[in-house]
Order: sequence, then C-alpha cells, then structure tokens
Amino acid sequence: MQFFRKTLDPVIALSAIAVLEIGLFLLIGAWTVGGGETMMTGLAAQLVLGDDLKRLPFWNLVFPPRGDYWKIYISLGMLFGAFVGAVLSKEFYLRMPRRVSEWALITVGGLLMGVGIRLAFICNVSTFFGMTPEMNLGGYLAISGIVAGAWVGSLIYKKMLEG
Amino acid sequence: MSPVTECLIAFVFGSAVGLLVQRSRFCNTAALRDAIMFKSYRNTKALLVAMMILTMAFTGLMSVGVGHPMDFDVGLNTFIGLFLFGIGMVLAGACTVSTWVKTAEGNIGALWALLFTFIGMFLFSLAWSWNYWPPAPASMTGEPNLPALQLGFANAATLQQKVGVPAIVFGLAQTLVLYAIYRAIRRKEREREAPGEEPAAVQELHAIERG
Repeated sequence: MQFFRKTLDPVIALSAIAVLEIGLFLLIGAWTVGGGETMMTGLAAQLVLGDDLKRLPFWNLVFPPRGDYWKIYISLGMLFGAFVGAVLSKEFYLRMPRRVSEWALITVGGLLMGVGIRLAFICNVSTFFGMTPEMNLGGYLAISGIVAGAWVGSLIYKKMLEG
Repeated sequence: MSPVTECLIAFVFGSAVGLLVQRSRFCNTAALRDAIMFKSYRNTKALLVAMMILTMAFTGLMSVGVGHPMDFDVGLNTFIGLFLFGIGMVLAGACTVSTWVKTAEGNIGALWALLFTFIGMFLFSLAWSWNYWPPAPASMTGEPNLPALQLGFANAATLQQKVGVPAIVFGLAQTLVLYAIYRAIRRKEREREAPGEEPAAVQELHAIERG
C-alpha cells in the first residue's frame, strides 16, 4: 500500500489531524498530551509509593491519580498508531543514542520538558493545537515562551554540535 | 458522556494522530528548531496550516457556544514553563508527540526522554507541594491575581462577551496573521536554490535522531 511506502506530506497529515481534532473539541476537548502524561506519572508514583503519595498535596489537590482520565488514552493511542505505522512501513527497529553526550542531553531535555509542562499547566500540543486556536491569552504567553526556549536550546545545541 | 466513552474516543483520535505523525515524520521540535537553526520550514508550514484550520473552526464553534475550550488562569508560569519546555525539547530532540511516536518506532533515546519527562513532572509535584505555586485550577478565579503572578482567563469567547463581536471575527484576524507568516516562508523558500528540499544539515540531523 502506497501509504506505508512513501513519506506523507506533513501539511496533509497535519490538516487531517486538525479536522479530526475539531471532532474531538466538539465531543470532549482539544488535543493535549501533558495532562495525560502527568496522570500517568501519578499512577506510576502510586504504584511505587502506595498510600504515601497522598502525603504530597499536588496529587490530592491538582492531579488525584485515576485511570479513567481520557487524556491518558490519547498518548496510548499515539503509541499504538505510530507502532502500527512503523511496523507496516518496515520502519520499526531498535536504535539508541551512541554517545554519552547524547544520553546527557536527552536526560536534561526530558527533565526540563516535564518540569516545564507542569509549571505552565500546558504542553507544546496545547499551545499550538488548543489554546492559541482558541485565542486564549495563555496561548500567546506559551508561544512566546516556547519560541524563546527553542532559540536558547538551539544555541546550546549548535555549540554542542560545533564542539 | 461516560468516562469509558471519552477514553475510547481519545484512544481512536490518538491512534490516528500517531499513524499520521509517524508516516509524515512531523515533529513540533523540528518545526521550531529547524526554522531557527537552518531556515528549513518543512514542519513549520504544516504547523501553521493546522493552526489556521483550528483557529477558524474553534472560534467559529465558540461563536455559537459549542465545544470544550480550555478554562484555567494563565500567568508568568505559562511563559516560564514553556520557555523551559522549549529548551528541553531541542536538547532532547523530541516533543511530547514525537517522544511517543519515536518510542513506537523502537527509539530507546525517545523512551529515555519520556521517562525523564515523567521524572521531571514528579520533581515538580514535590516543589508544588512545598510552595503551592502556580495556584491549582480549583482555586483560580478567572480574574487577574497579581500577587500570585496570574493574569486570569481570556479567550475568543470572553472577547465576544466583552466586545459584542462574534469570536470568529477575531479568529479570522488571527488566521490572516498566520497566513501572512506562511506566505513569507513560501517566498523565502522560492528564493532558495532548491525549493522544497531540506538543507543537508537538516537531513543529517534528522537521520541522527531517527538512529
């Protein structure tokens, strides 16, 4: 099937996603990832810490862990859909960063993403595909922040590439 | 709607997104990083087109009071949070979507980024449990709260209420701005020697990320 042989034009892919998201917005809400990831973090922490997690007010007041939070299933769906795509297009194979510096960058980058999402209450997806199209004030604050951050990140990355 | 139905809808939507992102190699990180570092706009254009479609649709639906817009206060934390996120996504070479998609392709680095995103969230929960900032959504009022560095809540629907002009009019203005940016990018691309082709440095970087 041609769909799994050739790379799809991202403009077509994102247009299709936007149309699907209009349906999601009508039914339950705009596309978001950070909220589901936070809930997964809470569920994982509950598994490890048990009732001790209740001693942290964040997990009582902001995100009481529960498995029927719909945003979790967007992430799990993305994992499933991408896995199907990768297998059918023969693009699935195990690969990993080769250099220690890459592992270090990914570790720091992941931590910053996690802290940033929770500090802002939104992620990049909500910024570009939710709040800004809703013309929410937060969307403009978030876009300013992410563009400035990506610029600083690019400077650091460039220095690392040159070094 | 029952939570189970919501979860099913979310899963179906997520599956379609995962498939389309995997097949198109779209990446939000690349949409910003490649534009900044290499003046390459393959992903940026796709992002802008999606934002134009969504702006018209969401503001149109909000004009007639349907849909589920996000509703919580924003403030300094919104800017700082996404600033940190922006640095993080460039260093990790992936955003919230591409970490899942690349993990599904067998990329252990993306799985590692995802794991540390979770750890970062948990570390933040420790800090929040100590200082309670920014306020939890339940305690947000929608009005500016300057001691808490919160600006309140405003979107196309609140603009419609205050000004009396349908939200879609503001949406149209935003769409025109996005279209102007899109056209400027297309003009730049036409001026380049090989339009549509990504610079070799971008291709090399993407190959490293794919592993």
